[in-house]
Amino acid sequence: MVVKSVEELTVEDIRVARRAIEYYYEQGWTDGLPVVPPIQEFVDEFLAQTDRGADEVLVTVDHLKRSCTVRQAAINAVMAGCRPEYFPVVVAMVEALQGAGGPMMQSTTGQAPIVIVNGPARERLGFNSKENILGPGDRPNATVGRTLRLVIMNVLGIRPHEFDQSTHGTPAKYSFCIAENEEESPWEPLHVEKGFQPNESTVTMQLIRSDLHVEHRSTQVPEEILLTIADTMSYAGGIYEAPPYNRSNGCVVIMGPEHASIIAGKGWSKQEVRRFLFEHCGRAKADLRRFGKVIGMEDTAEDAFVPHTRSPESILIVVSGASNAGVSTVCTNFGGRNVTKKVEERQR
Amino acid sequence: MADGTIFEKRGVPAASIVTAPFTRTADAMAKRHDFPGYRYATMPHPIGNLKPEQIRQRAREVLPQVLAILGLPAEAAK
Repeated sequence: MVVKSVEELTVEDIRVARRAIEYYYEQGWTDGLPVVPPIQEFVDEFLAQTDRGADEVLVTVDHLKRSCTVRQAAINAVMAGCRPEYFPVVVAMVEALQGAGGPMMQSTTGQAPIVIVNGPARERLGFNSKENILGPGDRPNATVGRTLRLVIMNVLGIRPHEFDQSTHGTPAKYSFCIAENEEESPWEPLHVEKGFQPNESTVTMQLIRSDLHVEHRSTQVPEEILLTIADTMSYAGGIYEAPPYNRSNGCVVIMGPEHASIIAGKGWSKQEVRRFLFEHCGRAKADLRRFGKVIGMEDTAEDAFVPHTRSPESILIVVSGASNAGVSTVCTNFGGRNVTKKVEERQR
Repeated sequence: MADGTIFEKRGVPAASIVTAPFTRTADAMAKRHDFPGYRYATMPHPIGNLKPEQIRQRAREVLPQVLAILGLPAEAAK
């Protein structure tokens, strides 16, 4: 088939393309934004990027009686606007949903999966790990993250007004995919910390509730930066006060390279940072009482410090963003765990 | 809801209780588990902030619906 160049396209061609896009809206197969029509030819280009079988199941949600195959992931990757070469990252990402997703994807809290890409695939595919890391403009980040939402909606069937019971949700549910700025991180990359080799690429996923901005540009003291981050992690609205999720929170800390450099420059390891944040994330019981959030704390002394995260290990640290200001971001969560999957490059 | 439909399919009498904002999800879940029209009890929202006595009152109020779903006479409440 001869494909016209952009210069050869006619107004009628564009009208036909618009009609196709409208068809996907009519079927209810979008996240509210236009999608690329996934004709077989496009889907085949994506499937050719992996050794995985098209019918292989990547994730199953038992209570909804739904699963997602490699083919279905490819269809939604096309629709999201991915390039074919992104597909191995998409496969790893959808697979990570098996452990990192679960019923919390339907929660009134409206949690969104954050997707973190590590390793050589970042550079090769052009994932952004620096300026405007949480914002728009970079195709790999935007479209790979969007693919996950389309899979959740179109394949797993978790849609608003039905199985998605979010009270508010979060804009992060449209797409939330970042890459670690390994080159400007003073610590080992996240995937190496998780036991993978530096030359391997991975996707790490964790459900999060929102992203909160952290400022500290006027200090060279690690404790002052970390106390500011811990305080942001401890905001009253983030405390779910009733069992079984009370005080079983975790957090993804997206640390800006400037903060990381100051902290590591004074000799702090990543594990020491995690321990410090764990010990300072929380509030005194008397403080919690002001908010009426003291359920199940009858035996706790009034002046006791109540930790808000469940362990240092429940705090995930990733260095990302531009090295141009003392800025970090915290993304709190509860109950869920993070999962890291290797990106499998095509062998044949 | 999923548990309720699974119990019923296995012959174990069950009654699911849903607060008002979640009836749409409840209906969708029943349909997903091949049980369209599955009957369940409803009560007002919210319940997370109720005191123990208020919860007991809610339980008393919903009891007739639960008994009807289980096919029991109203006197069974006693």
